[in-house]
Amino acid sequence: MKKKILNYIKANLATESIDELDIYENLLESGLVDSIGMIQLVLFIETEAQIKVAPEEMIINNFMTVDHILKFIASKQNSEEKQV
Amino acid sequence: MKSTYNLPQLIDNVARLSPDREAFRYLEESISYGELFEKSNQLAFHLVSIGIKKGDRIGVFMNRCLETCIAVYGILKSGAAYVPLDTSAPVVKTISIIKDCEITCLITTTTKRRKVNQLLKEQSSLNIIIGDTIKSTIPSVSWNDIFSTRVGDFVPPPILEQDLAFILYTSGSTGKPKGIMHTHYSALSLSKIASSTYDFNSDDVFGNPAPLHFDPSTFGYFVAPLIGATTVIIPDAHLKMPASLSALIAKEKITVWYSVPLMLIQLLNSGTLGKNDFSSLRWVLFAGEVFITKHLRALMKQWPHARFSNLYGPAELILCTYYHVPEPPINDKPIPIGNVWNNTEYKILDDHNNDVLPGETGQLAIRSATMMQGYWNNKALTEQSFHRVTVADGYDHVYYKTGDLTQLNCNGDLLFLGRNDRQIKLRGYRVELDEIELTLLKYADVEEVAVLVLGKDEETQQLAAVIKPGKDASIILTHLMEFCKVQLPYYAIPKTIEVMADLPRTSSGKISRKELGKLLEEHHL
Repeated sequence: MKKKILNYIKANLATESIDELDIYENLLESGLVDSIGMIQLVLFIETEAQIKVAPEEMIINNFMTVDHILKFIASKQNSEEKQV
Repeated sequence: MKSTYNLPQLIDNVARLSPDREAFRYLEESISYGELFEKSNQLAFHLVSIGIKKGDRIGVFMNRCLETCIAVYGILKSGAAYVPLDTSAPVVKTISIIKDCEITCLITTTTKRRKVNQLLKEQSSLNIIIGDTIKSTIPSVSWNDIFSTRVGDFVPPPILEQDLAFILYTSGSTGKPKGIMHTHYSALSLSKIASSTYDFNSDDVFGNPAPLHFDPSTFGYFVAPLIGATTVIIPDAHLKMPASLSALIAKEKITVWYSVPLMLIQLLNSGTLGKNDFSSLRWVLFAGEVFITKHLRALMKQWPHARFSNLYGPAELILCTYYHVPEPPINDKPIPIGNVWNNTEYKILDDHNNDVLPGETGQLAIRSATMMQGYWNNKALTEQSFHRVTVADGYDHVYYKTGDLTQLNCNGDLLFLGRNDRQIKLRGYRVELDEIELTLLKYADVEEVAVLVLGKDEETQQLAAVIKPGKDASIILTHLMEFCKVQLPYYAIPKTIEVMADLPRTSSGKISRKELGKLLEEHHL
């Protein structure tokens, strides 16, 4: 999942060409991903991780870096498993 | 009483009387009027000491952050004009602006280092960097160095109200950058007219989401200081995460919000408006594009205590008309752009620049204290955009032709009918692209739409529509096509309708029809 997200950002969303992207790069403040890019990223994550991101979950703490995104996905998958 | 005729005096005035008043805030950081006076003085002192002269252009290359206000006022105080550069623009575009107005000095922050290094790889007039120390052959100085400068008895150069204050670049349809020049006078006029129109006071807290290169930023940077109010600079991150933005507006107790309608629609869709306390909000101002009436109504019902006002104005005028929305609109008709505000008058012109009869449609032309000086380095384009009415030999009234179609309704309010160039001829028929868009919006679950013409020569030209469905909505295209057939004359029915999860936008949040056109053309090949 980590690789998939990083590659997707590099290939499809980055507003500048970058060689290296790590999971701690701030996606929101750096301008690396613009607002449409963030929406595309959310759709990508929904499909890849098979989760549903509610509008009220569109917060900085869930999407600031790839690291934040991975933790968010894990917590979503956890809570969905519990419900099942 | 001391008169105020240039922008730095706005800060000086408040700093003298109440230095501890908060001027700007960015998350946990804040700067008082007294500190802003000091720090902008230090920057101005430094600029003058490195040889910056009156009328020079200085680039501001920053994200939204607290240093932006120091850069703006420091540059102005030195007698130079600031040129805000979009940090998300491609390097070639930024370089073409730097070359166009011969920027030698660039003010930035450490967070933009990667991009600044890219800019420095290109051939240009840049020869000084302020705000970050960089490894390069050209000199650079950090913010800390600026803030430890002793200014002594520094006396800034005299600044007249007619002096150049800033240049705002827009892309322009021909690809050549178009630099809109504003003076201290036009910006100060905006401050005075806006604060009297909305009765702002020193307890107001302005939410400023606009980046510096986008003209609504003049509200936070120049209107709020006139009345000694506080401006909250909204961080880039919050603008991408609507639920966080919603929480921030509530937490900061913002009283005056001014943005493009898109941001307000995103807030509305964030599902958080019922959870946060927005009781401080008293003015919700919007401009830049048409606020789709059904969304405006929904928002007004969410915030019944706030007043809503539709502002209109191209960057050449910053703003010029306003319409206070009296109550949530009962039908989906677009709301008017209202009437011109103080110190402003208008004409509606036909194709031959004659006044149209009352109630007829024509191009809006505006004469106002907030009008630009002209386009930088482009006298021909400046003259082309003006409409001169000779009052006496050698004395003209100068109007700016907006390129927007308007009409006066029976209530005396101006209606915005779209861009002059959005009205096209298709196989002999006059087609209003904006009208087709409004029709598609009537269809349930269509959240946003853009209609454009594809194809270059008249024979093969065709209409294409792109729609963005509402969240969780699925639209059956054949049904939508049927709807079009019922609602529109046959020549105005889009040949194709495509669905996109979101529409490409310009950096100011407007739908980028240019970008969309490119996408579609590629798709069809």
